[in-house]
Amino acid sequence: MHPLRDTCAIVGVGASAQGKVPGSSAISLSVEAFKRALDDSGLRKEEIDGLLTLPGQTSAEGALNYLRLGETLGIDPRFTGTMNMGGATPGVMLQHAVLAVNAGMAKNVAFVFGDAAATGGGKYDRAQGWGDSSSIWGYMSAAANSAITAARHMAVYGTTSRQLGEIAVACRYHASLNPDAVMRTPITVEDHQASRWVVEPLHLLDCCLVSDGGVCVIVSSAERARDLKQKPVLISGMGQAYTTQNLGREDWWYAPHQRTSVLDAYAMAGVGPRDIDVVQLYDNFTISVMLWLEHAGFCKPGEAGPFCEGGRIQLGGELPVNTAGGNLSESYMEGCLHIVEAVRQLRGQCGPRQVRDAEVSLVTGRGQALNCANALVLRKG
Amino acid sequence: MSDYAKPLPILTDENRPFWEACRNGRLSLQTCSGCAHVRYPISRFCPQCLSAEFEWSEMSGRATVFSYIVFHRAYHAGFRQDVPYNVALVQLEEGPRMFSNVVGVPNDQVHIGDPVEVVFDPVTPEVTIPRFRPISQ
Ligand SMILES: [Zn+2]
Repeated sequence: MHPLRDTCAIVGVGASAQGKVPGSSAISLSVEAFKRALDDSGLRKEEIDGLLTLPGQTSAEGALNYLRLGETLGIDPRFTGTMNMGGATPGVMLQHAVLAVNAGMAKNVAFVFGDAAATGGGKYDRAQGWGDSSSIWGYMSAAANSAITAARHMAVYGTTSRQLGEIAVACRYHASLNPDAVMRTPITVEDHQASRWVVEPLHLLDCCLVSDGGVCVIVSSAERARDLKQKPVLISGMGQAYTTQNLGREDWWYAPHQRTSVLDAYAMAGVGPRDIDVVQLYDNFTISVMLWLEHAGFCKPGEAGPFCEGGRIQLGGELPVNTAGGNLSESYMEGCLHIVEAVRQLRGQCGPRQVRDAEVSLVTGRGQALNCANALVLRKG
Repeated sequence: MSDYAKPLPILTDENRPFWEACRNGRLSLQTCSGCAHVRYPISRFCPQCLSAEFEWSEMSGRATVFSYIVFHRAYHAGFRQDVPYNVALVQLEEGPRMFSNVVGVPNDQVHIGDPVEVVFDPVTPEVTIPRFRPISQ
């Protein structure tokens, strides 16, 4: 058995108001989330000795975010740092927290993210690449990478835009059951098809939201977790993998590292796809969910299109995906809320969107130009 | 002073041979002297064997459309008048992949798997951008 399996637990989760939160900054939203997570856990602020952060697009201090946040929270940590792997950061930082707790470098580690991207001017549209930048040819935006993936997935496997639409529909349906979600009006595949093109073959409803908000997740040892306020959610498995060579690898578009990250997490947890009750799959764009379904072994490579049809990925279906609405409909918090939702599902706190008898959940994150991926297997303690 | 408003390459000692070749109507990439790997993006070192020895060698210019997308939004002011415009990920006959544009045909006439060949588009006195056009069957 893997020596770190179930050694740590998520003991507190918290999120600020989401969507458009005028008058807030990335830092104030981070603090709001931290306070809620702290309250959720029952820990005192003085017990937080680890502080890991992801700066928002609107965090001017960038890589010095940990300093600014520590100062604002009045915390002088023993273990801290800021990392930016985009949507892969939350999962990576939770894994760093597990390593730090096991190494005795910290007892209670808070991971915090905040952004005012909706009202504060996000930078998701920035030109990308360096040196002979691909922006020379007009290749820009986060949507471009996922459009490249979607177009090739369609050409190689016959996946259709309507099948991508099923993912948007499922996420929106789940968001309609989530009072904290930003976009709650149900949509149909026809609505998806009628939404304007952004980067073809992606429609507007294939794209995640741009949101203000903050999220905090607190990790402690499993032993400490038993004395705290909530039922512990154990971190059973973790994995990370990266494809840094974009053009250099023929299979870059298919994000092969996603599979590696999930297989490592399965192996550490001693589970497989059949053991997973509910999944939170990183969805910056709908196509991302399809890659995760294939790489995590819920269907074979190329078969995610048909897999998403017929309500299979909706609540009540075989594999409920993104039960709070995901980045597509709940709020775009770089995947932080995927972890929060997994925790709430495993605690049984999800009301009308609760997956019955949820005991094991897979949470995935990915970021940058398809480069970074990670997976967590969480288990009801 | 050029009024070309789109992003241009930043010319360096490392990439200047590529852009000079384009100006002269040739698509030229680095071939590793250590392992014969033909590489792109441009780099001092071979990503396969880390050798710094290489030669610039001329490509055939023939490629296949590997993936293909159409921008209906301009993320840069310079592309505002071009919307909708395409970007293709093309795979050269010699192996490497690069982003470019397919020119000379309507956006909806291009498909993944189509054979294309390089054409050269002088956009400023210094810079000529390689693009691709369909090879008529
Ligand atoms: Zn070499």
